[in-house]
Amino acid sequence: MSSATTTEASHGAHAEAHGHHPPFLQHHFDTPAHQFDAAKMGMWIFICTEILMFGGLFVAYGLFRGREPEIFHLAHERLDKIMGAANTIVLLFSSLTAALAVRQSQVGDRKGTTRWLIITLLCACVFLVVKYFEYTHKFHDGLLPGTHFRAHLPAYAHHGHTLPYRAHMFFALYFMMTGLHGVHVLVGMGILTWVLKRNLRGEISKEYFTPVEIGALYWHLVDLVWIYLFPLLYLVG
Amino acid sequence: MATEVAVAPGHHEDEPDHMANYLIAARGVKSWLVTLDHKRIGVMYLASVILAFFMGGMFALLVRLELLTPGRTIMGAATYNRVFTLHGAVMVFLFIIPSIPAAMGNFILPLMLGAKDVAFPRLNLLSFYIYVVGALFSLFSIISGAVDTGWTFYTPYSTTSSSSVVSMTLGVFILGFSSILTGLNFLVTIHKMRAPGLHWRRLPLFVWGMYATSVMQVLATPVLAITLALLAMEKVLGLGIFDASLGGDPVLFQHFFWFYSHPAVYIMIVPGMAIVSELFATFSRRAIVGYFAVAMSSLGLALLGFLVWGHHMFTSGQSEFSTMLFSALTMLVAIPSGVKVFNWTLTLYKGSIWLTTPMLYALSFLVLFTIGGLTGLFLGTLSTDIHLHDTYFVVAHFHYVMMGGTVMGFLGGLLYWWPKITGKMYDESLAKVSWFFVFVGFNAVFIVQFIMGSRGMPRRYYDYVPEFRPYHQFSTVGSWILAVGFFILAYVLVKSLRSGAKAPPNPWGSAGFEWNTATPPIMQNFAVTPTITRGPYDYHEATEEELWDGFPEDFKKSEP
Amino acid sequence: MSTATNEHHADHSNDDGAVHAHVSSPLFMIGIFATLIVLTIVTVAVSYVDLGSANSFVALLVATLKAGLVSTFFMHLRWDRPFHALVFIFSFVFLAIFIGFTNDDLSTRGEIDPNNGVHVLERSGAVAPGGIQVPAAPPATPGHETHEEHH
Repeated sequence: MSSATTTEASHGAHAEAHGHHPPFLQHHFDTPAHQFDAAKMGMWIFICTEILMFGGLFVAYGLFRGREPEIFHLAHERLDKIMGAANTIVLLFSSLTAALAVRQSQVGDRKGTTRWLIITLLCACVFLVVKYFEYTHKFHDGLLPGTHFRAHLPAYAHHGHTLPYRAHMFFALYFMMTGLHGVHVLVGMGILTWVLKRNLRGEISKEYFTPVEIGALYWHLVDLVWIYLFPLLYLVG
Repeated sequence: MATEVAVAPGHHEDEPDHMANYLIAARGVKSWLVTLDHKRIGVMYLASVILAFFMGGMFALLVRLELLTPGRTIMGAATYNRVFTLHGAVMVFLFIIPSIPAAMGNFILPLMLGAKDVAFPRLNLLSFYIYVVGALFSLFSIISGAVDTGWTFYTPYSTTSSSSVVSMTLGVFILGFSSILTGLNFLVTIHKMRAPGLHWRRLPLFVWGMYATSVMQVLATPVLAITLALLAMEKVLGLGIFDASLGGDPVLFQHFFWFYSHPAVYIMIVPGMAIVSELFATFSRRAIVGYFAVAMSSLGLALLGFLVWGHHMFTSGQSEFSTMLFSALTMLVAIPSGVKVFNWTLTLYKGSIWLTTPMLYALSFLVLFTIGGLTGLFLGTLSTDIHLHDTYFVVAHFHYVMMGGTVMGFLGGLLYWWPKITGKMYDESLAKVSWFFVFVGFNAVFIVQFIMGSRGMPRRYYDYVPEFRPYHQFSTVGSWILAVGFFILAYVLVKSLRSGAKAPPNPWGSAGFEWNTATPPIMQNFAVTPTITRGPYDYHEATEEELWDGFPEDFKKSEP
Repeated sequence: MSTATNEHHADHSNDDGAVHAHVSSPLFMIGIFATLIVLTIVTVAVSYVDLGSANSFVALLVATLKAGLVSTFFMHLRWDRPFHALVFIFSFVFLAIFIGFTNDDLSTRGEIDPNNGVHVLERSGAVAPGGIQVPAAPPATPGHETHEEHH
C-alpha cells in the first residue's frame, strides 16, 4: 500500500504529531477534527433543507389561516391541548437526554451514552403512542382531511355542534404537518438506534463521537419543528 | 499504515491499487457498482444522463414529427400530450439537473480542489442510487400510461388527470433527494476539502458555479419535495389544499412549484456557465477578465433565483401588485448574466484563441445564451408577456437558454474533459462536423419558433392553423439536422472509446488544477496532496512544462 | 490540516488535529430544560387568556425563544463555528422569502380589480367562481362575514 505512505507524508506535521492513523478516520480526511467538522457542516446544511421542506407546509398554513381565522379557531378546539402540551414536554425532555448522551460520549462515558440514548428512544415511543391516540380519536370524530371530512354532518356533532365543512382545511394541514413530523420522529428513532448500536459495539469514544453528535442534531431538529407545530396547531389564538 | 488499510472502505484481499489509473484499478462490474470513488460515480452518472438525453431527444423528435402537418401526423392528441410531457420531464429531471453537477461535477470538482474524494463518498454513491430509483419510478409511469400534464404538473389538471401522475411525482420526489444530497456533498467538499494554498480567490470558476448550484439545490429542492408530496396526497386522499372546490388555492401550487423550479432553472444554467468559464480561459490562453465578478455573479444568480419565481405566473390570477414586483425583480437577473457575458467577451479580446470543438461549443453558448437571455426580458415585461405567455416564443426562449446554454456547455465540457475521463483523444475534425450540424440544426428548430410564437402559436398544442405550417415544417426539418449532429457526435465518442489515440497528460495545455493529476487520474487522484501556489488561470505563471507535459507526479511546490 | 480549514478558524490551525468540542455541564443543560418547560407552561397559560391577535404573536415569540434555546445550547451553536449558525439563519431567511412573496400575492390579490371593472374574490364583494361545494348541506360560513367587516 504505497498510497498510505504518501498520504502520511503529505500531512507533514500532523503525521509526525500523531504517528498513526486512527481507525475511525476515513482516508480522504487529514485529521479527526477535519472529519468531524465536515460531518457537522453536512448535518447543518441538511437541517437547512429540512427547515425549507417543513417551510412549504408553514406557508400553506399561514395562507389558509389568514383567510379564515375563525374557522381555524373553531377547528383547533377539537385538538387536545393537554395531550399536545404533554407531547411537547416529552420531546423537550428527549432533547435534553439526547444532549446529555452527546455530553457523556464527549467525556468517554460509554455506559452513560447508552443510558441517555435509550431514554431518548423511550421518549420517542411515548410521543408516538400519544400521537396514535390523538389520531384514532380524530378518525373516530370524522376529523379527516379533504373529501374524507365528516365532522360537518349531524351524526358527527361534538357536544351538539358540528364544524363548518371548510374546517377540513385545518385538518388537512394538521395531518400533513404532524404526519411529516411523525415520519421524522421515526427516521430519528432509526438514526438513534444505529448510533446506539455503534456505541454498544464500542465504536464511539472520546476521540470519535461524531455519530452521537450528528444523530442528536437530527433529533433536536425534530424537537425544533414540534416547538413551532404545537402553538400553531394546538394554541390558535 | 496498517491501520489505514484496515479502515479503507470496502477493503478486500484484492484491494485496488490506489496508484493505478482509476479505470483499471479494480475490475469487474461489482467494483463499479459499489465504488466510493467520485470519478467512477461521476462516470456512472454520465452514462445515465446520456441515456436520459437520448430518451428525451427521441421524444423531442416524435413531437416535432407530429407537428410536421396540422392534425394527425403519426399519433393521436392524447399520445401527443404524453410525449411532450415525457420530453419535458425526462429532459429536466433526468438529464439537465443532474447532467453537469452530478456527472461532471462529481468527476472534476475534487480534482480541481486537490482533494482525494468528495467529503462524503458513501453519500455520493447513495445519491446515485437514489437517482436510479427515481428514474425507475419515472420509467414505470411511462409504461403505466404516462403523464399528460406537462412537466409542471399544474393543478387542477394534474389532480384530475387519469394518467399516472402519482408514480411520476413519486419519481421526481425521489430524484429531488438525489439532487439535495449531491448539493450538500459538494458544499461541504468545497468548504472543507480544498488543498493547501487553494483559498477562495483562487477557486476555479467551475467550482464557484458548482457552489452556487449546490446552494440552490439545497435550499429549493426540499420545497419541490413537499409540493409533490402535497400533490400526491391531494390525488390519493383528496386533501384539497390546491383544489378550489374544496376551499383550496390552485395558484398556491404554482407558487410552491416555481419556488423550486425557478431556482431550478438556474440549477440548470449556472453549471453551463461554470463550464464555459473554464473553456474560455483555456482556449484563449489567459485569465478570465473580472474573475471575481464572474464568481460573484454565479452567487448573485443563485440569490436572485429565489426572488423572481412569480414571473412564471403573470397570467395565473396572481395579484397585480405581485406581478409588478416580480417583473421589476426579474429585470435584475440581467445584471449577473450581463457581467458574465461581457467578461467572457473581454476574455476573448486579445486572447490567443484556439478553435477546438469545446471552444466552438463555448462560443455557441455565448451567442445562444445571449439570445435566450434577451428574449427572457420580453417575457419578464408585463405587457409583452400577456401576448407571449404560453406561446412558442416561450418554448424558443427556454430552449435557447437550456439547450443553447446548458447543453452546449455540457457538450463542450464533455469533449474538453473526455481525455481526462477516458484517457483517449477523439477525432477533432469529425467532432467539428458534428458541432456544425448541432449548431445549425438547433437554430433551425428554434429561431422560427420565436416568429411563430410572436404571431400567436400557443405551446403544447396538438393542432394548428395552416398559416403556421411553414414554420413548423422548417422547425421539424431542423430537428432532423440536430439529430444528425448528435449521431455523428455519438459516433465520434464511441470511436474514441474503441480506437482513440492515447491522450497526452494535458492535451489542451490548460493551467487548470484538474490537469494536476495523471490523465486519466489515478485511483486516489493525487500521489501527493498538491500545494497550490497560483490561480487556475495564471498562464503567465505556469511553466511550459506544466502546461504541456502535465504536472509531474511529484508536483509539489513549497509555499514561499 | 489543510489551509482551507485553517483559513476559517485560525484557532484550530495549530492544534493536534483532534476534535475539541465544548462540554456542557449536566446541571446547565437541566437549567435550559427547566426554562423550556416554564416557557411551555407560559404559552399554554396565555392561550387561555384572550388577547386578540396578540395571542398568536405571543405564541410564536415563545416558540422562537424555545427554538433559540434548543439550537444555541442543546445543538451547541453557542460554541460551534459561526458558519453553522449562518447556515441555520439563512434557512429562515429563505423561508421568509418564500412566505413573504406568497403572502404578498394572497394579501393583495384583487386589490386593483375594482379599478379595472373586474369582480372577483371577496374584496370586490363578489363570490369567486368555483367557490366552496359542500358535499352535504352548506353551513353558514363565518369566514365571509369577516371579509365584509373588512370592507
